Amino acid sequence: MFDRAKYAFILPAFLVVLIIGLFPLIYSLTISFMQVRLVPPVPPSFVGFDNYVEALSQPRFWSSVRVTFLIATLAVAVQYSLGLALAVALNSTLPAARVYRAAFLFPLLMAPIAVAFIGKMIFHPGVGPMRDLFGLFGYPDPPFQTDPVWAIGMLVTIEVWQWTSLVVIILLAGLQSLPRDVYEAAALENATRWQQFRGITFPMLLPISAAVVFLRFVESLKLIDTVYVLTGGGPGIATETLTLYTYQEGFKKFNLGYTSAISFLFLILIVIFGTIYVALIKPQLEKRT
Amino acid sequence: MSAPNAIRRPSHWPVTIFCLIWLAVTVFPIYWIFVTSLKSPLSVNGGPTYLPWVDFMPTLDAWRAAFSGDRGDFIGPLMNSVLISLTSSLIALVIGSMAAYSLVRFEFRVRLLAALSFAAIAIGGYVALVHGLGFGKLAGLGLSFLLAMPTTLFLNTRNLPGPILGNGDVVFWFVSQRMFPPIVSAFALYLIYAEMGKAGVPLLDSFPGLVLSYVAFSLPIVIWLMRDFFAALPVEVEEAALVDNVSRFRIFFQVVVPMSWPGLIATFMITLSFVWNEFLNALLLTTSQWQTLPVWLTGQNSYRGDEWWAIAVAAVISITPMIVVAAALSRFMRSGLSAGAIR
Repeated sequence: MFDRAKYAFILPAFLVVLIIGLFPLIYSLTISFMQVRLVPPVPPSFVGFDNYVEALSQPRFWSSVRVTFLIATLAVAVQYSLGLALAVALNSTLPAARVYRAAFLFPLLMAPIAVAFIGKMIFHPGVGPMRDLFGLFGYPDPPFQTDPVWAIGMLVTIEVWQWTSLVVIILLAGLQSLPRDVYEAAALENATRWQQFRGITFPMLLPISAAVVFLRFVESLKLIDTVYVLTGGGPGIATETLTLYTYQEGFKKFNLGYTSAISFLFLILIVIFGTIYVALIKPQLEKRT
Repeated sequence: MSAPNAIRRPSHWPVTIFCLIWLAVTVFPIYWIFVTSLKSPLSVNGGPTYLPWVDFMPTLDAWRAAFSGDRGDFIGPLMNSVLISLTSSLIALVIGSMAAYSLVRFEFRVRLLAALSFAAIAIGGYVALVHGLGFGKLAGLGLSFLLAMPTTLFLNTRNLPGPILGNGDVVFWFVSQRMFPPIVSAFALYLIYAEMGKAGVPLLDSFPGLVLSYVAFSLPIVIWLMRDFFAALPVEVEEAALVDNVSRFRIFFQVVVPMSWPGLIATFMITLSFVWNEFLNALLLTTSQWQTLPVWLTGQNSYRGDEWWAIAVAAVISITPMIVVAAALSRFMRSGLSAGAIR
C-alpha cells in the first residue's frame, strides 16, 4: 500500500513533464534530421545532419551566438558586482529596510514584456528621459536604436535593472547565514572593512555566488522579450539573440527542420557552457572548504 | 534582514547614498510608467516631463479610452491571463506539491540503465514505428510510450548493474527541465500541438493547450520550493496518523497541507507571477482567441506605433497585480522564504 501511494503522488507531475516537456522534444529531434518546410510546402525527407551543417555554416547563426553570450556576460558581470556591493551595503546599514525589500521585489515580478515597453519609452529619442540624462553630460541624442554598441548597452542596462535585485536578495540571504564569530575575531585583530570583505565575506559567499551567477547566466541566454520589443534584433542583426533567431526562422520562414536543428544546437551550447562552468568552478569551491 | 551578522558600525554616508541611488533607479521606471499613463498625447510628445501639475496636466483620458473599449479589446486578453494563470498555477501547485511530498517522505530508486532504456525505447520505437512502419506521428509517439513505460518499470525491478539514482536525481530531472532554453520546448510543443490539431484535437490557441504547457513549465519550480517546506515539517504528526491507519492521501490533504499554508501560498504566488509574465510560450501557442496580456502588449507595439499613453495604461494594468504579489511576498520573506528557496 505504501509503494502504491508513493507512485500515485508523483505520477501526475511525472506524466505532465514527460508528455508536455519531453515528448515534443523527441518529435522535434527527429524533425531536425529532416527537411520539413511549410512555405513552400515540400514533402518531408530525411536529410541526416544537413540542417545542423547548414546552421553551423551560417554567419547569422554565429552572430546570434556571439550576441547572446555577449549580452549575457556583460549583464551578469554588472548584475553580480552591483548586486554584491548592494548586498554588503544593505547588510551593514539598514535604514528603512522594509522599503528596500519591497522595492527590490517589484522589478523581479514585472513581466519582461512590460519592462521592455517601459525601457522603450525611457530610451525613446523623442519622449524619453534618457535624453535629458545624457543631455546633462552634453550628449543629447545617443543612437540607442541605430548603433550596435549603444543598442547592446541599452539591452544590458534593462537586464541589469530587472535582475540585479534577485542577486541582491539571494546574496543578502547568504550574508545573513555567515557565522558571526569570524567577524568578531577579525575585529579583534583590527582588520579593516576591506580586509574583512576580501578575507572572509567574499570567500565564504563563493558557493552561493557561483550558484547565482550560473542561474542568471543561463536565464540571460534565453533573452528574447526585450530584444523583440526594443530592437527587433536590429540594427541589422546586431542584437539578434539565439532565441529570436530561432523564432524568426520558425515563424517567418516556417523552415521547421532547420529551426529544430538550431534549437538543439542552442541546447548543446548551454550544456557545453554548463559543463565548462562546473569544471572551472568546482576546484575553486573545493579549495576553500 | 534586521539582524546583520557583520559588526554594526555607524552608517557611512557614501554607503547610504549608494543604496538610495539604486533605490531611485529601481523605482523611477515604475513611477515613469504611472505618470505617462496620466499624460495627454500632447504632453507625451512634447518631450520628457516629470511632475504632474508642475510640468504637465494629468488627465484620465488614456484610462477612459482603454476601458471604453474603442481602442481594441483588452478586457479579453486580461481575462485570458487571469483565467490561465490562476488555473495553471493551481494545478501545478496541487500536483507539484504532491510530487514534492513524495520525494521528501518516500525513497525512490531508479536504476540508471532502466532510465536510459526508457529514452532508447521511446526514441527508437518512435523512429521505427513512424519512419519504418508508416504509423502516424501521434500513434507512433503514443505506442512507443506505452512500450517504453512497462519495460522500464520491469527493468527497474531486475538486478541490473550500474549506478542507482535516488530522490536527489529525480528532483534534478524535474528541475533540469527549467534549464532548457524555452524556445526549444516551446517550438517542439508548437509542432506537437499542430499535429494534434490535424488529428482533430485543437490545442493551438486553446485554453487547455496553454494551461497544460504552463503546468509543465511551473512544475519544476513548485517541486523545488515545496520540497524544502515539506522537509522542514515534523514527521511525528504524520507517523501518529499512520498508526491510526489513515490513508496517505488523507494524511497529505488533512494533516500536511494545513501545516504548510505559508509555503503553499508563497509558492502559488511565485508560480502565478511566472505564468502571468510568460511571453514566449503564449506567443507561439496562441493566435487570437486566447492571447494573454504580454502577447497583446507586443501587438500594441506593431499596430499602433508610438501611442505611449495607451501603452503605459496597458503596462500598468499588466504590472499592478504583480505589485500586490510583491507586497505580499515581502511579508513572507521575513519568515525566511528566501533562505529556504536557495538551499
